[in-house]
Amino acid sequence: MTEESQALREDVPGGPENRPGPGSGSDGSPSRVRPTSLAETAAALETAAAEQQSLLFTGAGTALDWGAPVTRTDLVVETGGLDRLISHAAEDWTVGVEAGMPLARLQEQLAPAGQWLPVDAPTAKAGATLGGLLAGGDVGPRRLKYGGLSDLVIGATLVLADGTVVRTGGDVIKNVAGYDLAKLMAGSFGAFGMVARLNLRVHPLPESTTTLALAALDAGQALTAARAVMRSPLEPVAVEWDGERLLIRFHGTEDSTAARGRLGAELPELAGARVLDADEEEPAWEAHAAKIAGEEGDTVLRAATRPARLPALHAKLQELAEGSGVRAAIVSGIAQGLHTVVLRGGEAEGHAAALTAWRQAVHESDGSVTLRRRREGVDARAESWGPAPATTPLLRSLKQQFDPDDRCAPGRFAPWF
Amino acid sequence: MIDTALRHEFEAALGADAVLTDPLQLRTYECDGLTGFREVPALVLLPRTTEEVAAAVSLCAKAGLPFVARGAGTGLSGGAVPVAQGVVISLARMRQVVEFDPDDRRMVLQPGVTNAEISKIAAPEGLYYAPDPSSQVVCTIGGNVAENSGGAHCVKYGFTVHHVTALRVVLPDGSIVTFGGDAPESAGPDLRGLFIGSEGTLGIATEITVRLLRIPQAVRTLVADFSTVEAAGEAVSGIMASGIVPAAVEMLDSLAIEACEAAVNAGYSLDATAALVVELDGMEEECDEQFERVVALCREKGTTNIRIADDAAERARIWQGRKAAFAAVGRISPDYFVQDGVVPRTRLSEALGRIAEMSRTEGLRVANVFHAGDGNLHPLVLFDEQAGEAERAEELSGRIAEMCVELGGSLSGEHGIGLDKACSMPKMFGETDLAVMQQLRRSFDPAQLANPGKVLPTPRLCGEKPGRFRPHPLEAAGVIERW
Repeated sequence: MTEESQALREDVPGGPENRPGPGSGSDGSPSRVRPTSLAETAAALETAAAEQQSLLFTGAGTALDWGAPVTRTDLVVETGGLDRLISHAAEDWTVGVEAGMPLARLQEQLAPAGQWLPVDAPTAKAGATLGGLLAGGDVGPRRLKYGGLSDLVIGATLVLADGTVVRTGGDVIKNVAGYDLAKLMAGSFGAFGMVARLNLRVHPLPESTTTLALAALDAGQALTAARAVMRSPLEPVAVEWDGERLLIRFHGTEDSTAARGRLGAELPELAGARVLDADEEEPAWEAHAAKIAGEEGDTVLRAATRPARLPALHAKLQELAEGSGVRAAIVSGIAQGLHTVVLRGGEAEGHAAALTAWRQAVHESDGSVTLRRRREGVDARAESWGPAPATTPLLRSLKQQFDPDDRCAPGRFAPWF
Repeated sequence: MIDTALRHEFEAALGADAVLTDPLQLRTYECDGLTGFREVPALVLLPRTTEEVAAAVSLCAKAGLPFVARGAGTGLSGGAVPVAQGVVISLARMRQVVEFDPDDRRMVLQPGVTNAEISKIAAPEGLYYAPDPSSQVVCTIGGNVAENSGGAHCVKYGFTVHHVTALRVVLPDGSIVTFGGDAPESAGPDLRGLFIGSEGTLGIATEITVRLLRIPQAVRTLVADFSTVEAAGEAVSGIMASGIVPAAVEMLDSLAIEACEAAVNAGYSLDATAALVVELDGMEEECDEQFERVVALCREKGTTNIRIADDAAERARIWQGRKAAFAAVGRISPDYFVQDGVVPRTRLSEALGRIAEMSRTEGLRVANVFHAGDGNLHPLVLFDEQAGEAERAEELSGRIAEMCVELGGSLSGEHGIGLDKACSMPKMFGETDLAVMQQLRRSFDPAQLANPGKVLPTPRLCGEKPGRFRPHPLEAAGVIERW
C-alpha cells in the first residue's frame, strides 16, 4: 500500500491521447481527458500542473453547475473511464470502487450479494457517480436512517491538483488512523482535488419496504406528524414532506414493515394516513426524487436548518415567491431539517430576488444554503454563496495548501475562496 | 519557561483561579489513560467559556507556546500527554448543557460534559446518545470528538462523527468558528467531519451539537459459548451474512473469560474457549424475530451453551463482564499492555491464529476481547515486569498492531494514534499520504502549536520508545473501566 502511489506514478501507461493538450482548444473550449487508471489520472494532472491549466473534474455532470460558476477551465477531467469495481468483500460489508462508477450500477453489482449502498441521491437516476456524489453532497431521503454517502466512506484515494496521489482512511469499517481527507472532499465540488477511488461500507438489503402517505398541506401539521413518527418506536428510514403530503418509509423484515405501516397509521397525529400499495410505492418515491432534482429553467436551493424552522421558512418562501412572480415548492427531509427549494416560472430577476431574500432568512435562522441548478440569468443577479462564514480564512488556507495556484474549479466558492 | 508577565496575562484573561502553576497540581496532568508516557506541563489553564478558551489560545499563539487540550484524560493513546514547557488547556470546567431540544432531538454541550450524562439527561424524553465508549461515565464529549470515539455498538450506529452535527471550535490562532450546523449537512466542505477524530491537533471544540436517537423499543442480548474460536467466528459470519444488522457482537477468548470471572463474576462459562455476546435492538416484533434467527444460527454453528438475558439486570451483568475485561486482566497477570487494531472481519480467525502463534513464540500470554462485528481487536499482552518481560511484551503488542495493518486493517479502531502509534503510521500510510496530512494540519495550525507530536510521526518522537501500560489512577480506584 505504501508503495502503491509511488509505483503508480512511475508507471504511466496512458498514451498520448490521454495526455492533456497544451492549453485550451483553439476555439476556446477546454481540452478533455478521460483517464482509465489512477496512474493515468496522476500523469494527466501532473502535466496539467506543468502547463498551469485550470481543471474541472466531472463524473456524470449532474451537479456540474452547482455552487458558484467556475470561471476558467482549460482541462476537463472526466472520471467516466474510472468506473470499475475494485473489490467487493461482501462478508466484510465493504466495497472498493473507482470514483467514476455510477451509483445505480454499483447497486446492481451489489444486489446479487444481498447488499446495497444505502444512498438514494436523486441525481442517481441521471447517472450520478460516486465521486460526484461525494463532491456534490447530493443525498436522498433515506439519509435519515443510513447517513449520507460521506458517512459511508471508509477510505479514499485522491489526486491533488499537482498529480499527487494520496490515500486516506482504510478498507475496514472501523478505523480512526490519521486525518479523514475524504471529508474535505465532501461538498467541495472538486475545489480541493479529485476523488479517484472510494472504499465504502455497504449494508444488507432490507427484506421489505413500505411507505405511509398522509395528505398534509400545512408545514406545521406535517412537522407535528413527523415528530410523532420520530417519537414512536417505528424507526422510519425516511420522512419527507413535499408541500402536499408526508411520505414515511420503513425498512425491515416482512412482518415488521407491515406492523410499522399499521401502527404508524394508528398514531393520532397521522390520522388519515394510508399505506401505499406495493405498486404505488416506488413511483411515489421516484416522483419525489424528480421534485428534488427540478427541471431545466428551475432554480434549486438546498437548505439545512433546525427542523423546527420549517413552518416559518416555508411561509417566508411563499411570501417571497409571490412578491417575485415565481412559483416556489419545498421538498423537506422534515425530520432532519434538510430542505430542497425549487423556484419555477417567472423571470430570472424573480428567481434571484427570491433566492437572495430567502437565503438571508435561512441564515438568520442559523441555517445554510447551497445553490444548485439555476435559471439562466440568475448568476448575473445573485451571489451564489451569500455572505462569507467565519471559516473563510481557514478554507482559504486549505485551498492554499492543496491547490496553491487555484487551478481546481476556480471560482466555485467565490467569493468565499 | 513561561515568564511571569505571560502568566499574568493568562490570569488577567481567565482569572487567577483558572491558572495552575503549583508543581504538585501540574503533576496530576502529566499523563492520560496510557500512563507510560509522562510529561509535566508548564502551566494548566481552566477556562469556563469559549471566549476564555479563545483568549488562552490567542496568548499561546502570541507567545509561540504549544498547548494540549484535555478532557477527562481517559484516552488510551497518549493523545492528551502534555508537551514539555507547554500549556494544558483543561475543559473540565466547561460542563454546561447549553441546550436540549427534545422535539428536534438535539443537545448542545460544552466539551466537559461526560458521555453518559448526555443519555442520562435525554432519557426522560425517551432519547439517548448512541456512541458508548466504555469509559463513558467519565470520558467527555469533547474528548469523544477529538478521538472520534466508538464503543460496542458501532457496527449498527457508527461513531462520534455520525452523531455530531455542529462544533464551535477555537482554531490554533485563537479565532472562533463554527463547523457544520443544525442539520446533518451544511454548505461547503465538511470541516466538521474533518475535525472530528483529529485528536486535538486542529483546534479545540468548545460547543458540541449532538443528535439524539430514540431509545430502542426492545433490546435482546445473549451469550453463546463455543468450543473453538473458529466456530465462534463462523457464528459471527453467519449472523453478519443473514441480513441482520446487530447492535453489538463481542467476543472473549478463554483467557479473557477467566479474567472477567475472576474480577466480576458475570456468569460467563469458564469451560468455553470463546464466548460471543450478541445484542439486537429495535422495534419489538422485528427484534424478537431476528433474535430467534441469531439463536438458531449459533446452534447451527455448534454453540455449547446459550445464555439469554431475561431482563435488563441480566443484560447489565453480561455487559459488566464484557466491559470489565481490560481491568480484569489485572487479576490474572501482574502487568499488561492494551492493544487496539482492526482487521477485516473475515480475517479474524487468521489474526487470532497469528496472535496465538506470536504469543507461543514469545512465551507471553495474550488475552483477546474484541468487537467481532467490525473486526476491532483488543489483544491484552500479559507480562511480569519483575521477571523482566516488559520489553518483549511491548514489542509483541506493537507487532500485533502492525500485523493488523498487514492483514488489510488499521492501526486503530477507536483508541486513536496519539503519541503511542504516531511512529507506526508509516506502516499504514505512504510518505506522500503523511505529507498531505501534514499539509492539512498546517492549514489549520501553521505554527504547529496544537498538540504537537501527536498523530503524525516526527523524527524526534520516533527515536524514542513508548512506556508500558499502567492502569489509570481512576481505573485503579474502580471509577472507570476500559475495554
